[in-house]
Amino acid sequence: MNEFDQLLKTLSSIVLQSSPLILAVCGETITERAGLINLSLDGTMLLAAMTGFIVGLKTNNLMLGFLAAAIVGMFFALIVAFGSIRLKQSQVAIGFVLTLLGDDLSAFLGQNFTRIRGPYVMKLGIPILKDIPILGPLFFDQDIVVYFAFIMVGLTWWFLFRTQPGLKLRGVGERPEAAFARGVKVNRVRYIYALVGGGLVGIAGAAYSLDVKLGWSEGHTRGLGWIALAIVIFGGWSPIRGAVGALLFGGTKALATVLQRTFPQISVVAFNAIPWVLMIAVLLVSTSDLTERFINWMPKTWRRPLRRFLRVSAPTSLGVPFGED
Amino acid sequence: MAVKTNKVNPLLSRTMAALTPVLATLAALGVFALILMALGANPIEAYGALVEGAVGSPNAIADTLVKATPLLLIGLGICIAFRGGVTNIGGEGQLVVGAIAATLLGLKFPETPGYVIIPLALLLGFLAGAVWGGIPGILKAYFNVNEILSTIMMNQIAVQGMNFLLRGPMIDPVQLQAASRIPQTARLARAFDLPRLVPTRLHLGVLLAVIAAVLVFIFLWRTTIGYRIRAVGLNADAAKYAGINVKRYMVLSLLLSGAFGGLAGAVQVYGVTHRMFTDGSAAGFTGSAGFNGIVAALFGQLHPIGTIPAAILFGALLVGANKLQRVVQVPSALVTALNGLVVVFVVSSEIWRRHQAKQNQNVEIEESSTPEKEVTGIV
Repeated sequence: MNEFDQLLKTLSSIVLQSSPLILAVCGETITERAGLINLSLDGTMLLAAMTGFIVGLKTNNLMLGFLAAAIVGMFFALIVAFGSIRLKQSQVAIGFVLTLLGDDLSAFLGQNFTRIRGPYVMKLGIPILKDIPILGPLFFDQDIVVYFAFIMVGLTWWFLFRTQPGLKLRGVGERPEAAFARGVKVNRVRYIYALVGGGLVGIAGAAYSLDVKLGWSEGHTRGLGWIALAIVIFGGWSPIRGAVGALLFGGTKALATVLQRTFPQISVVAFNAIPWVLMIAVLLVSTSDLTERFINWMPKTWRRPLRRFLRVSAPTSLGVPFGED
Repeated sequence: MAVKTNKVNPLLSRTMAALTPVLATLAALGVFALILMALGANPIEAYGALVEGAVGSPNAIADTLVKATPLLLIGLGICIAFRGGVTNIGGEGQLVVGAIAATLLGLKFPETPGYVIIPLALLLGFLAGAVWGGIPGILKAYFNVNEILSTIMMNQIAVQGMNFLLRGPMIDPVQLQAASRIPQTARLARAFDLPRLVPTRLHLGVLLAVIAAVLVFIFLWRTTIGYRIRAVGLNADAAKYAGINVKRYMVLSLLLSGAFGGLAGAVQVYGVTHRMFTDGSAAGFTGSAGFNGIVAALFGQLHPIGTIPAAILFGALLVGANKLQRVVQVPSALVTALNGLVVVFVVSSEIWRRHQAKQNQNVEIEESSTPEKEVTGIV
C-alpha cells in the first residue's frame, strides 16, 4: 500500500510538473497551425517567468503576475508576427534573436530577485472528484494551473477541429491562398493567433516561477522552450497529442530520477542527457521516411492505426509568409 | 536614406549594406547611454572606459583580438551553413566537443613535442566538430529531422558530456587529491601552448582564424563544391534539377559548419585556457561564443571576410564592457544587455535595409548578397 501511495505521489507530481509545458505546447500549436513559427519560446518563457514572479511578488497578486507574463509572451509573439508578416523576414532568425534577448534580458532585469521566496499558487482540490480512487489524486487534487492547462488542451482541440473560426485558422496555415480567396484576412488571422499562442507561452513561463519551480534564478527555465518546440512536432500539431507528449516527457524525467537513485554508480550526467537524446529520437520517429517504410513493412491491417500513431505532418504553409497583395 | 540609386551605383548600395550595421551599433550605444544615465552613471566616462578597455593599450587590443577569434571561427561555420540553406544553432556544442577532443589528445601525450601535438589537436578538434555538426546534417538530409531543434539538442548533449568528463574521467588529479573537486582538467603541457605572436596574449590562433576566413571565402566562391553549396542554399529545387545531390551537400554544409566550431574549441583550449573547466552550463567554458558567433556572421552579411570586422567588433564590446563595468560600477548583467541591444539593433536595421531594398524594384541580386531564400519550414 505504501509503495502504491508513493507511485501515485510521483505520478501526480509528473502531472503538476508537466502542466506548464502543456500550456506552452498548446500556445505554440495554435500559432503554428496558423502558419507562423514562434521560435523564441525559450527566451519568451524565461522573460515571462521572471516578469510573472516579480509582478506577483511586488503586488502580492498572482493573477497580475500571470497577466504580466501573458503580456510579455504576446509582445514577443507580436515582434515575430510583425517581422515576418509586415517585413517579410525569416521567422527563424527573428525568433532566434528574441530567444537570446529574452535570456539576457531576464538575467539582467531579474538579478535582484534571485532566490527569494515569493507568492505561489495554492493547491486546490476539487471536492468529491478528488476522492475518486487513482484519478482523483492524479488530476483533481492539484492546483488551478494544472486544471487550466488541461482545460486549455480540451478547449484548444475543440476550437481547432470543431469550430468555424478554428477551421479558418487551420485553413490559413494549410492553404492561405484558398482561405484568402474565400475572404479570410490571412495575415490578420495570423496576428491574432500569434498573440493568443504567445500569451499562453507567457502564462507557461509564469507557471514555472509561480507554481512548479518556485522563484527566480538566472536561466530558470532554460531549455524547456526548445523541449516544447520539439513536443509540438511530436504532437503532430494537435494539442491532445502534444499534452500526451509533455506528460511522457515529464514521466521520463521522473523515471530518470528514480533510476538514478537505483543505480548510483551511473553518472547523474547520463540521466541529464536522456531527455535531449530522447527528443532527437522522437523527432526522428515522427518525421523520418524510415518510419513510413517500417509502416509499409507491417501487415496491411496495422498500417492505418500505426500511421495515425507514428506519423505527423506539418501545416503545409508553416513558416511561409503570405502576401495579400 | 533609401537606396534609390541602386541600379546606377551598386557601389553605394554595397556601402550602405556595410554601413547599416555600424549605424545600428551606434544607435544601440546611444540607447545604452540613456540607460546608463538613468542608472546615474556618466555615459561619456563609461564609453571612455569601454574604448580604453577594448583598444586602449597593446594588451587591450590583443585581448580584443583573442576574444574575437572563437567568434570568427564559429561565424565562418555559420556562413557556410546559412549559405547552404541550413541553420546551425549548435555552435556551443560543436565548440565544446572540439575542445574536449583536443584536450584529451594533449593530456594523453604530455611528452610529445608541441609541433606534433598542436597541429594534430587542431585537426582533431576540427574533426570532432565535424562529427557533431554532421549528425544533425544526416538527420536533416536523410531523415527529415529539423536541424534547428536537433543542433540545440546536440548542444545540451555535448554540455552534459563535458560535465561528466570533467567531473570524472578527465578531472585534474590535483583536484582529486585536494578533495575540492573543482570540475576542470589538468593544465596542458606548456610546450603545447599556441605560440605567442608578440609579448601579449595574442596567440597564433588569431592568425589562423583570419587565414581560415580567406580560405572559406575561396572555398565558397571559387571552388565547385562551394558553388554547389551556395546553389543548394539559394534554390534547392533548381540545384536538384541541375544534378546536384542536394542531400549530400546539406550534410556537407552542416558538417563543415560544425568543424569550424570544433576548431574554435581546440584553439580556445590551446591558445587561451590551456585546460577545460565547467560551471555546469555551456557558457561557463564557451562564453556563449557559439551564439555570439552566429550574430557576428549575420552582422558580417554572412560573408567570411565581412565576418572578420564583425567578430572584432563583438570581441571589443565584450572586452571593453568588462572595463566599463569596473569603472562605472554598473551591474555585470548590464554588459550582457548591451550585447543584446547591439544584436537587436543590428538585426532590425538589417531587416529595415532589406525591406527598403525590396521596395526599390531595381535591386540587382549580387553574388555576395544574403541568400534570398530564407530558412523557413520547421520540419
